[in-house]
Amino acid sequence: MPRELTATLGQLGHGLLLTLAMTALAFTGALLLGVLLALCRISPVPPLRAVGTAYVTLFRNVPLLVLLVLFVFGLPDVGLLFSLFLTVTATMALYWAAFVCEVLRAGIRTVPLGQAEAARALGMTAAQCIRCVILPQALRSMVQPLANVFIGLALSTSLAAAVGVAELTGQTEFATLKYDDPLTGFAATTVVYVLITLSIGLLAGRIERRVAIRR
Amino acid sequence: MSEESRLLFDVPGPRARRRTRIATGASLVVLAGLLTLMIRQFAIHGELSAAQWSPFTQWPILRFLLTGIEQTLLVTAVAAAIAFPLGAVLALARLSRSRWLRGPARVYGELFRAVPLLLLLYVFLFALPRAGVTFPVFWQLVLPVALSNSAVVAEIFRAGVLAQDRGQAEAAYSLGMTYGQAMRWVVVPQAVRKLLPALVSQLVRLLKDSTLGYVVSYLELLHKAQVLGEYYHNVLPAYLVAAACYVLINGALSRTAGWLEHRQGPQ
Amino acid sequence: MGARTTAPIRTLAGAVAALALVTALTSCDSSGSSNSLPAPAGSGSGSAESFDQVIAGAPVADASAIPAGSLMAKIRSRGSLNVGGTDAAALFSLKDPVSGKLTGFDAGLAQMLARYITGKPNENLVTVTADTREALLQNGTVDTVFATYTITPARAQKVAFAGPYYSSGDAILVAASNNGIKTVTDLAGRSVCTESSSTAANDIKQYAPSAKVILFQTNAECEQAVEQGRADAYVLDQALLLGDQYRDKGVKVVGTPFTTEPYGIGVPLGSPEMKAFVNDWLKLIESDGSWAKLWQATIGTALTGQPPTPPVIGSAQGS
Repeated sequence: MPRELTATLGQLGHGLLLTLAMTALAFTGALLLGVLLALCRISPVPPLRAVGTAYVTLFRNVPLLVLLVLFVFGLPDVGLLFSLFLTVTATMALYWAAFVCEVLRAGIRTVPLGQAEAARALGMTAAQCIRCVILPQALRSMVQPLANVFIGLALSTSLAAAVGVAELTGQTEFATLKYDDPLTGFAATTVVYVLITLSIGLLAGRIERRVAIRR
Repeated sequence: MSEESRLLFDVPGPRARRRTRIATGASLVVLAGLLTLMIRQFAIHGELSAAQWSPFTQWPILRFLLTGIEQTLLVTAVAAAIAFPLGAVLALARLSRSRWLRGPARVYGELFRAVPLLLLLYVFLFALPRAGVTFPVFWQLVLPVALSNSAVVAEIFRAGVLAQDRGQAEAAYSLGMTYGQAMRWVVVPQAVRKLLPALVSQLVRLLKDSTLGYVVSYLELLHKAQVLGEYYHNVLPAYLVAAACYVLINGALSRTAGWLEHRQGPQ
Repeated sequence: MGARTTAPIRTLAGAVAALALVTALTSCDSSGSSNSLPAPAGSGSGSAESFDQVIAGAPVADASAIPAGSLMAKIRSRGSLNVGGTDAAALFSLKDPVSGKLTGFDAGLAQMLARYITGKPNENLVTVTADTREALLQNGTVDTVFATYTITPARAQKVAFAGPYYSSGDAILVAASNNGIKTVTDLAGRSVCTESSSTAANDIKQYAPSAKVILFQTNAECEQAVEQGRADAYVLDQALLLGDQYRDKGVKVVGTPFTTEPYGIGVPLGSPEMKAFVNDWLKLIESDGSWAKLWQATIGTALTGQPPTPPVIGSAQGS
C-alpha cells in the first residue's frame, strides 16, 4: 500500500510540474504576443489595427475549451501535428494574449491625455513619450489586472485535462478512478490550486506596493 | 483615430503619412500571403470539400445546433441569475463592518476564485454523490458555474465600491446618513453604473464556462458540435462552426459592454 | 439620468428576445425531424429496418409476470423505461442527431426490455458517463443502465447486475498503415490513448506498464488521435473499436482481446425482483432467437460470421 501511495503521489507531483510548466510557458508567450498585439492596436497602420482588433474579438469570445479541441483535434486534419503539450500550451498563450493586450490598452488609457501632450510639447518623439512618460505610469495600474490574467491562466491549465494532458486535475481524476476515493484527492488538489493562486496574488501585491506612488 | 492613438501620436505630417501608407501596403501583402497559405493548407487536406461542410446547410442540422445554443443560453441565464445577486450579497458582506460577515465572505471568495472550474465540476460529479448529495445534470453544470462566478462578481462589486471617491461616502455621512443609507443611496448606485461593462464582460465569461457542460454530458453547443463531428466525421468544420456561434453571441454581448462604456465615457 | 438607467433594461430585453427567437426556431419545426439525411456509414441505418423489425418482434411479458408494487409495475404504469446509456457509441448506442433515434446493441436491448415490460419500445435515455452510472441508479433517476457496463465485484457493491448479456474485452486499434503493433506486448514504450472514463486505462497500466497513457474524453477523439498519429494505439473494448474500424478506413483493430469484459445490465441494488426479472427476460430472448437477430442487425453489420454464443447468465463475478 505505501508503495502504491508513493507512486500515486509521484504521479500527482508530475502532474503539478506539468501544470506549473504550462502556466509559466503560456504566460510568457501570452505576455510577448499580448505586447505585440497591443502595439498593433495602437499603431497608425490601419491593417495592423484591424488585425489586432479582429484577433482580440475572436480570441476573447471563443471559449478556451473550444479552442483547445479545435487546435488539438482539428489542426492535424490540415497537416499541422505538434506534440500535445506544445499544442495546448500554445493555445493557452494565444487565448490569454488577447486578454493581456486588453490589459495593456486599458493601462495606457489610465494615463491622462495631458501627460502625453506635455511630453510632446517638450519635443519627445512617440517612442520616447511611450517609454519615458506613459509606460512608467501605465505599468502601475497594470500589475493587478496582469496578476488576474496570470491566475486565470494558471486555473485554466486544468482544461488541458479535457484534451489528454495529464496535468494536476487530470492526474487527480485518474487517481480518483483508480482508488475510488474522490474526497481526499479533490481536497488535496484544491489546496494546491489555492496555494498557487495565493502565491501569485502575494507576488502581485508585493510588486504593486513597490511601484506604488506614495501619497 | 482611436483614443490611444490620440494619446500617443501627434497629427501626422506628410512624411509620417507616407511612411504609414508604405507600412499599410506591406502589411496587406503579408496578411494576404498568410491567408492564402491557410486556405491552401485547408484545400490540400480536403477540408474545403463540400462533403465536409454540406451538413451545415441543412435545416435539421442547424436546428440541432440551435437547440444547443438554446441550452447554452439557458445555462448562462440561470447561472447568471444565481451568480450576480449572490456576488452582490457577498460583496456587501465583505464591505460590512461586522467581522463575522467579512471573514466567511472572504474565505468564500478566495476559495472559489482559486479552484479551477473543472475541478469544482468534478467535485459535483464524483465527490458530492459520495456524500449522498446528487443533482440533476443541469444543476451539476449550473451550480459550479454560478458558485465560481459569484466569487468573481463579488470581487468586481467590491472593487467598484472601493474605487469610489471617499468624499462621496463622507459627504453622505456629513448629511447625517447612516452607513447603510450611504451605501444604499450614494455609493452602490454610482458603483453599479460604473461597473456595468465589467459585469457584462463577466457574463461573457460565464457563457464561456458553460462549455464545460461536456464533462457532465450536458447537451450544450460544444457537446452538440462534438456529436455532429463524430457522426459526420467532420470534426474541424463542426468545431469551427461552434466557434463562430460563440463569437457571434459573445461578440454581441461584448459590444453591449463597449457601448455601455462608451455612453458613460471618460468624465 | 433616465435614459441611462434604461440601457441595462434594453439589453436584458434584447437577450430575452434572442432567447425567445431561438426557442421558437427550435420548437416550431416538427416537420424537420422527419426529414431524413443521407446517413453516414456505420450508423446502422443500412440495417435500420431489420433493427426495427427485431424490436417489433420481441416478446411482451404477461401481466401476471409483473407483481404489484415492484419496480417493473412502476415502469409499466409510467409507460416508458428510464435507461442510463450513451448516445455516441457506434454499434451499441448511437443517436441520429436528426431523427433522435437510437440504434445499436445496447439501445436495442433497452428498447426490447421496455417493450417486454410496457408493451411499447419506449426508451427514455439519460446520458451517463462511467462516473455517474452508479449514482443515477442509486438515486432512482434511471431504472436500468445499458452502457457497455462491465460487471466488476467493486461495482456490484453499489448496484446489482443482471446478465452478463455480452462478452467483450480490451483490444487494440492502430492506424491502418501501422504494422509494428500486433499484440499487447508491442505497446511497451508506445503512447497509448483511451477514453478517460473507461477502465481500460488501468488495464494498459497492468498489461503494458511502460506505455504512456493519454486520456481523451470521447471515442471519436481517441480514434482521431490514432489516425492523426498523435497516439500509436488506442485500447478499448473490442466491440467499440470494431465500430470505429467499420466507420473509418484509416484505422484497424489488431489481435484478439487481452482482457475479458462481461457486460451487465445495471439495476438498483434495492430492487432484487428487478434483477431476477431482467435475468429471466434475458434467458427468454436468448432462447427465442431475438438476441441473435439483434446482434446481426447491430454488431453483426461490422463483423463477418455467425452471432457468438451469449455468456451464461450469472457467470461473471459480481452478477
